[in-house]
Amino acid sequence: MEFIVEKIGMSRTIDVPSVPVTLLKVVEAKVCEVREDGKAIVAYNSGKKINKAIEGQQKKYSITKEFNKFMTLEVAQGTEPGDLKADALAEAKLVKTSFNSKGRGFSGVIKRHGFAGGPGAHGSRFHRAPGSIGMCEWPGRVQPGQKMPGQYGNKKNTVKNEVISYDAENGILVLKGAVPGHKGARGLVRIVK
Amino acid sequence: MKNKYIENFEKAQIESKNVPDFRAGDTVRVAVRIKEGNKERVQNFEGVCISIRGEGTGKTFNVRKIGANSVGVERIFPLYSESIESIEVVRKGRVRRAKLFYLRDRKGKAARIKELRRK
Repeated sequence: MEFIVEKIGMSRTIDVPSVPVTLLKVVEAKVCEVREDGKAIVAYNSGKKINKAIEGQQKKYSITKEFNKFMTLEVAQGTEPGDLKADALAEAKLVKTSFNSKGRGFSGVIKRHGFAGGPGAHGSRFHRAPGSIGMCEWPGRVQPGQKMPGQYGNKKNTVKNEVISYDAENGILVLKGAVPGHKGARGLVRIVK
Repeated sequence: MKNKYIENFEKAQIESKNVPDFRAGDTVRVAVRIKEGNKERVQNFEGVCISIRGEGTGKTFNVRKIGANSVGVERIFPLYSESIESIEVVRKGRVRRAKLFYLRDRKGKAARIKELRRK
């Protein structure tokens, strides 16, 4: 089962040893249509964007104006159109959390791949550049998969987290450890156990 | 300011904790639970609190004492940790700043702190 969540931030417990925790808020979602393969189309709120296509879908599933985003989620058996219930999180022990990681833009090889770089001074003339990227006339080309600068981050990452607690009233899920992404980011939790 | 959900989460843990009110400059006796194998005992650590920092569950305080052979010993305790059995304020000190790191550079008589006298 999957749920849309929003990252709130991190904290810790006072137990011995203290556990680092991440707080996630379950985003309110409405089930529009349950498909036969155990997945369902759900609608949730994201900004104020509205167009005729969205309006048409809202009319079709008779949902209110706030629910302007649609996606397909795995849902529990016997789910019916209406509010998506997150009760299953109360019994969950282990979840997989998927978020887009923080975007670092176009990064060099030191940040992106952990290259060592050269000395800062003493006239080495080699600082943060990638250095050699291959051999000579043979093979005469760069090996596929050569580590080079490029876009770093803002890519879907999935981590496994233990569930510490779930507050059904506010929809707050407390996980052990960190999850990717910035505060306020939207992602998915999938119940493993 | 912290997010209200984080605040609630931390408050729920802290609320039942009974921590005395003290500040930098006060002499405190901290009873620390120490686990050795499967035995547990309580050890006291007494010294001057030289700083309090952080908020919520991450709040810590730093206690400095002069140990054996006049070697300065500092320990940082999480204020609300389960490993702290009790905190006792032995003496209130009169100091004019919140962080007393200058005590690290002082020795003997110069490192004394006057007792706070209330009128």
